Amino acid sequence: MLNVDLLVNGLIVGVLYALMAVGLSLIFGILKVVNFAHGELYMLGSYAYTLAAAALGISPWLAVPVALAVGALVGWAAERLLMRPLYAGYSSWGLMRDEYAVVVTFALSILLVNLVDKVVGPYPRRGPALLDLPRMPLGPVMLSGQKLVATAVGLVVIAALTLSMRYTLWGKQIQAVAQNRLGASLAGIDTARASSAVFSAAGALAALAGALLAPIINASPDVGAFPAVKSYVIVVLGGMGSMPGSIVASLALGVLESFGAVYVSYDYRDTFGLLILVLVLLVRPQGLFGERGRVV
Amino acid sequence: MSKSLSRTLGLASAAAAVLAAASAGAAEPIKVGISIAQSPPGSVVQGTQVRDGLEIMKDILNKQGGVLGRPIALVYEDDQGIPEKGRAAVEKLISRDKVVAITGGHQSSVCLAAMEVAKRSDIPYINTNCWSDDIRKKGYAQVFNPSNYNSRVAFAMAETLAGLGAKRVVAYCENTDYGIGQAKAVAEALKKRAPNVEYRYETLDRAGKDFTPAVLPLRANPPDAVLTMMLPPAAYILMNQLYEQGVAPSAKTWLYDGAGIGDYPDFWQNVKEAGKDMIEFGLYHPEMGVPKLGREVGTTYQQKTKNEPNRLIFQAADSLLLIAEAIKQAKSTDGKAMIKAMESMTFSGVRGSFRFSAEPGITHHQWADIPYVTYQFTEVGQPVSKTHLVQGPNLPLSVSKLEKPAR
Repeated sequence: MLNVDLLVNGLIVGVLYALMAVGLSLIFGILKVVNFAHGELYMLGSYAYTLAAAALGISPWLAVPVALAVGALVGWAAERLLMRPLYAGYSSWGLMRDEYAVVVTFALSILLVNLVDKVVGPYPRRGPALLDLPRMPLGPVMLSGQKLVATAVGLVVIAALTLSMRYTLWGKQIQAVAQNRLGASLAGIDTARASSAVFSAAGALAALAGALLAPIINASPDVGAFPAVKSYVIVVLGGMGSMPGSIVASLALGVLESFGAVYVSYDYRDTFGLLILVLVLLVRPQGLFGERGRVV
Repeated sequence: MSKSLSRTLGLASAAAAVLAAASAGAAEPIKVGISIAQSPPGSVVQGTQVRDGLEIMKDILNKQGGVLGRPIALVYEDDQGIPEKGRAAVEKLISRDKVVAITGGHQSSVCLAAMEVAKRSDIPYINTNCWSDDIRKKGYAQVFNPSNYNSRVAFAMAETLAGLGAKRVVAYCENTDYGIGQAKAVAEALKKRAPNVEYRYETLDRAGKDFTPAVLPLRANPPDAVLTMMLPPAAYILMNQLYEQGVAPSAKTWLYDGAGIGDYPDFWQNVKEAGKDMIEFGLYHPEMGVPKLGREVGTTYQQKTKNEPNRLIFQAADSLLLIAEAIKQAKSTDGKAMIKAMESMTFSGVRGSFRFSAEPGITHHQWADIPYVTYQFTEVGQPVSKTHLVQGPNLPLSVSKLEKPAR
């Protein structure tokens, strides 16, 4: 019975990790940089949802799109104001693009954490549940209604994103930009617009994860650090820039942590992912689903 | 007394008060260094309450004309709840700001690092809210503890668990000097008070967000009591997950918090149903009664924030008042003289009167018999003033008053 509990809990956690990680993976795919402020977009989503529902008094179901919009807006603004120099002109910056991206996204992360701390306050806030059932037996497993809703929404969104990346023009354009920015540009794709769209989508996904988890993991200024760290591990494990890789790695990490915490030790829970990461990188440096780099 | 004479005397005393306040305002301020968490990852919730208590006491002291005719000025440094930053903060306060004493510390790991600097500089370090016994065991002459300590909580918890007849107890503690220290202290206290209790503790990451895997194994074999020794926000998340899994509080298992989080202003907003029926160790309850100055501090806090005052407000106020009293008694801001004064004085603070113990070990420079309470929340959203008091300074422990959850 315990094993069923652990498996279900691991898969649920994995789905929620995936919501965060696919956005980060998309950004890496298209810009080849790591966004260190990704966790703070989760945090903003968590607060936007909680405050919209509490302060504006709107239904929690309406507060979810508010959080999504906030995440998309901040993602879009970050790309326009901070990331654009990486590829729009400034050719001499090319030599230092990685350093620039690290410094600027780190700075954004620190700014957002402290801004929220000062403006909203340090007190954690628990968001209202979308399904107000704090305890819900589901066969042998005990869940909260919120966990169930969060998982269901997470699965639907991930499936929709995967399909749209594969079958829509928008998705194909993003894949083209990720493969070869110059080539995509020569084929008539507006690469700047594609980058903007990816940052907005990644912001919206992270904020959605924050909103869905706000009733379980209370909103607080530093709440983004935890999912962000997991996302970095997942993105590398799955293969930098690979969306299917991120999804599989998320689920695997969720289950691994769940079982490892009980059968090895809870103290080492966060190290399991890192241990697997090291092993995978030794055997397959490009990650589970990644491709080896090619220079043409 | 004629009417004109009384009017003249009234005017003269008003003028004297204005002159005293003006001279206190004009004199060079006495700087007191405050090292607290004002930004994450530290407990900003605690830091904010400590700051509120300090500010209230500073205003009270300055309205009275300051200390030795000089106003008190508080110089803040943000330690972010990180030991290295706490050490650097105290270093800066002493060397750059020339403060006469340090106070505000509210996270044990930070206090343990920061007090080393105070010791080296021979500056008084007033521990506002760090519970780790190790702070006391160091036996530093510069460190004074008007706050609570882990062994005191452990004693109270062991006594209650023995009274409840608990046979198997599981504790979840945060991975800090405070958390692990308290879990170990409870083990020691249980050995003495209830040796037949089967006790184990599990360490959880204070920055963790999902504790479900740590909770799940208890579902199949629930213990008689689950103890929590964690600070928010992790404490709130753990409580919610214990409740979600039906582990505690339940008809079989008591939930007993040893961190005193039940009086935090954000407690109910974050735990809701998970907090009902929880047993709480506390250091303040309105039924305890406090001196007149304490009531003034409590009322001012309530007027400012609309929240009920809690222990952190009083502890912070006492920390600053203690520094002021030491300066008055020593008639100097010299560190050595202040330390000597604190060692011998009977301090009348906002929570009562006490002397610091000179015994080495866990009660070194400690308010050894600091009063505490045990109470239970019986309704969701219940303020501390309406809780079920089962033990207090003048109320022997009565576990029969505790209500076991029906579900």
